[in-house]
Amino acid sequence: MNSFVTVQTQNYVVAVFLLLCLSIPNSASAQSWRSLTSTQREALAPVVQQWDTLPELQRHRLLETAKHYSQLTPEQKQRYHDRLEKWSKLTPEQREAARIKYRAFNKLPAKEREKVKQKLKEEHARKAQQSASGVSSSPVTNQQ
Amino acid sequence: MTNKDIYKLDPGKIAQLLTQSSRQLDEVTLSALFNARQNALKRQSVRAPVFTLAPASAHVHWADRLVPHSAQPWVAAALLIATLIVGTGVWQHVQEQQINELDVAILTDDLPIEAFVE
Repeated sequence: MNSFVTVQTQNYVVAVFLLLCLSIPNSASAQSWRSLTSTQREALAPVVQQWDTLPELQRHRLLETAKHYSQLTPEQKQRYHDRLEKWSKLTPEQREAARIKYRAFNKLPAKEREKVKQKLKEEHARKAQQSASGVSSSPVTNQQ
Repeated sequence: MTNKDIYKLDPGKIAQLLTQSSRQLDEVTLSALFNARQNALKRQSVRAPVFTLAPASAHVHWADRLVPHSAQPWVAAALLIATLIVGTGVWQHVQEQQINELDVAILTDDLPIEAFVE
């Protein structure tokens, strides 16, 4: 009787352990550029050179963003491609800081958000113009 | 009264006849019957009434029916760990989804990426 209980107990423990193993979510496995689908390659084309050197987590996250690529407008696709290389070269801390800023920005009231957007766009355009004309982009301090 | 007539009697009548007969018994027989009754009562195991919220039919705990008593702590511990792992997995999945949505938004927003990076 005792041995029966022991065997039954072991069976229960094994069953629960198997259940545990099944419940563990599959972690993202590293994918080489060659293993990507044509859609993924099209979306991630700007990072083809550094793809195989990127950390596993970053590759996984870029692949997740690439899932949305087909649903983007042509304009958004262009932005996505233009920014992807710079985004992938940022440190994880910089990307996290950007996410925090973006989240905070989106929490602003619509009117205020538009104001900030306009200001940032103007600033960005000014900087782009300055760098194109070769003028230093360092901010001018107003000493009064 | 014949044996056949006895079978025709109803139980109430039999009880009445027995009561009448017992009154005719002598003291020694009555005393012996009394002692025998007392001894029989002493031998009978007395069950104290136990207060339970569950009905008598549900006296055996449902957990004992599903899992042997000796395995219950193990199963409980394993279920707790499984709940923690599944909970952590779900939480991580939700976090990753939020990060993914933010990344797509940053990469496609009409505001330049520098607005959030610098």
